[in-house]
Amino acid sequence: MPIEVTGLNYSYKKGTPFEKKVLYDVHLRINDGEVVGIIGPTQSGKTTLAQHFNALFIPQSGKVIVNGINTADKKADLVKLRHEVGYVFQNPDYQLFASCVGEDIAFGPRNQGLPSEDVAARVKEAMSQVGLDYDTFYSRDIFALSGGQKRRTAIAGVLACKPKTLVLDDITAGLDPRGRDEILAVVKRLHSEKQITIIYISNSMDEIAELAERVIVIDQGRIAFDDLKINVFNQPEKLRDIGLELPELMTLAIDLHQQGFNIDPALLKFDEILQSILDSLQEGQVRE
Amino acid sequence: MELTKNITLGVYLPGNTAVHRLDPRTKIIASTILIVILLLINSYQAYGYFFLFISAVIAAAGIPPGYALRGLKPMLPVLVLMWAFQLFLHSSPDADVIFSWWIFSATDAGLHLGNMITLRVLFLFTVTTILTLTTSIVSLTDGLESLLRPLKKIGLPTQELVMTMVIALRFVLILAEELDKIVKAQMARGVAFDRGNFIQKTRKIFPVFLPLFINAFRRAEDLIVAMESRSYTGGKGRTKMKTLHMGRVDIACILIILLFTGLMVLTIFT
Amino acid sequence: MFILNPLIETFDLSYAYRTGSDRQVQALREVNMHVRQGEILAITGQNGSGKSTLARHFNGLLTPDEGEVLISGLSTSSRENIPSIRKTVGMVFQNPDNQLVSSIVEEDIAFGPENLGLPPDIIRKRVDHALLTLNLEHLRQESPNQLSEGQKQLVAIAGVLAMRPKCIVMDEPTAHLDPRSRREVIDNILRLNREEEITIILLTHYMNEVVHCDRMIVMDQGFIMMEGTPTEIFYQDGKILDYGLDFPVATRLARSLKLHGIDLDDNIIHTREIVERLCQLK
Repeated sequence: MPIEVTGLNYSYKKGTPFEKKVLYDVHLRINDGEVVGIIGPTQSGKTTLAQHFNALFIPQSGKVIVNGINTADKKADLVKLRHEVGYVFQNPDYQLFASCVGEDIAFGPRNQGLPSEDVAARVKEAMSQVGLDYDTFYSRDIFALSGGQKRRTAIAGVLACKPKTLVLDDITAGLDPRGRDEILAVVKRLHSEKQITIIYISNSMDEIAELAERVIVIDQGRIAFDDLKINVFNQPEKLRDIGLELPELMTLAIDLHQQGFNIDPALLKFDEILQSILDSLQEGQVRE
Repeated sequence: MELTKNITLGVYLPGNTAVHRLDPRTKIIASTILIVILLLINSYQAYGYFFLFISAVIAAAGIPPGYALRGLKPMLPVLVLMWAFQLFLHSSPDADVIFSWWIFSATDAGLHLGNMITLRVLFLFTVTTILTLTTSIVSLTDGLESLLRPLKKIGLPTQELVMTMVIALRFVLILAEELDKIVKAQMARGVAFDRGNFIQKTRKIFPVFLPLFINAFRRAEDLIVAMESRSYTGGKGRTKMKTLHMGRVDIACILIILLFTGLMVLTIFT
Repeated sequence: MFILNPLIETFDLSYAYRTGSDRQVQALREVNMHVRQGEILAITGQNGSGKSTLARHFNGLLTPDEGEVLISGLSTSSRENIPSIRKTVGMVFQNPDNQLVSSIVEEDIAFGPENLGLPPDIIRKRVDHALLTLNLEHLRQESPNQLSEGQKQLVAIAGVLAMRPKCIVMDEPTAHLDPRSRREVIDNILRLNREEEITIILLTHYMNEVVHCDRMIVMDQGFIMMEGTPTEIFYQDGKILDYGLDFPVATRLARSLKLHGIDLDDNIIHTREIVERLCQLK
């Protein structure tokens, strides 16, 4: 179910003294099975753009077409569309509303009007997909969860609606390194095993580097880049100008490159950089 | 979808107009006088004058007129209901029936009463909105505290009361922001808030309140902890950076308000 | 042990949160630590390790169940010390939205000094100084909800700075910021330590922030597990990974290169250090 955005404009608080234009003439297309990273500084318009994908925002001008359905169409079945394009929000405290984990995950499928045995099966499947043990966590109180577990519950709640596309909006914010790694592992698995289209929004280039194949960079409401990761990350100066911090590993590689090491700064994998350094050092020693 | 767009109460609109620069005490006194006038007037003519006066204030404060009225939008259903209530349920023996439907009949007296009450609520809301749009939360606190000081002598905890009110005002916007996020999160999981009849729609609202209040309490607690760690202890021994003082604008404003009050008194009694 | 210039000391500090009638969660267990005047101390640990609970003992928001906390020699357990303690130790929290009181930036910054009962002209001076120090002068009259998250956090820091504390405790001040604003906030914190000689206690789980600190403490399950300079801790056989934390990128790379037989010292924590060292080796 491709997502097509053409000529999209949006102003926040339109018609008030606080009016602020957040999206300027955005065009993009996201195809089935892709892993797309959307990155930009805070308040660059990433979230507003992404919330157009599941019709939480309706375009003020331009068009958003999801699987052939125009979201601005008054007759469009937006409820069905929102089940197909799942959205996980930044802060899990807003999306968890039942008292226990299992009940919360069942919320979506119950809204779809599924019979209770189907709902139960969906909950079980979704919990296993995010690595929450059914017996341990089903009746666990939401308040007793850690930050990482809360986020996994939120993802499961969306997965239980069987989405074909998953929008993940800055879901690792505030997590410690271990919690973050767990979440990233879940996302990778969802894509490789279930072929779910992933739209991963973040302000951390490190995470985008780890997950995405294609990267869209948003700068003050405009698309600055929309290209393969390697082509985008190859332009560090431009990214810095936009206000993005380069991954630390990348700045390290750039520094070494400038010091004459035979190393490609766009290499983003730790092991590749390690190998390049080892090779460079060996070469140097051979030359001597 | 933006729920916060229609919230104007508790929002401060930065500006440097004469209305903004007025001493907060002047603004509070003036608003109080206007509110008292509103509670007393009962004719279309008086409301006409009031409308002209308020329009002039809105213009002087540089508030876009549409924005001043925007806050009424969420209240519209309640207003209509209230108006209809008066229209159909008010009965007096000598009133003329305009039209009847089933067991209801609308009288001209009911229509008049309905109109008056609706206008009153509309203007009450507008007056308070103008006050909060042009006065920052802290100067509102300072003004109220200063005006209520005499009550402290009789043992009322005025500073605490004022601080509570101010935080409540601050939370109007926070609650709206929270509501926006929660409603979106539920819509994303298939709740159709815009579908179904009145009862079905109302029922859908309930699951929103639980997270709303939990989050609001959490935020309120955070705010209190932050205030406490900035040495706030309920206002005792507190001083102010900006000392209040009345100037020429304030005298002019009080004069204008007095003149307007005179005019209103005339229309009420003639 | 004699510690030079202790600003904060804890002695066998234990604390439990009570949830429900008889259930309780032990958040701190016999914590003994100190903070020296003028240093930058990082307190790290995964979520739920107890670091926030510890931090809230430093200005008397929480008081020990057992043990004692002394701030400049004053015990937080006696109520009459609290006003003086809050003047000494200021706090900045994770979410700036929940700590800003007013709808105008300069009025918000004045809130703390006003609570201290200072005369208006002194408050004005302190507010101006705080605005200047954090480069916020152009935002003086703005409404905080029109600012970016990073700017809001700087306003929150300015609000504490205007109270002239000896020490500022920052409870994950960068957790909700994007990397660029995160660096801006950290740069400002480091500058406050350098130029205003304010002792800083930084709670964080970003290792690239920890490397700028003089000393660090690692917490897990309410215990202090490790204490030392960042270099010492990052080179103690990778124990830090057991506590759910990470190495800084430079350290991670240096450790891997060492395993491959490259001759590197056990003290590399900054990116520039590893680049320099590798250039020497080449």
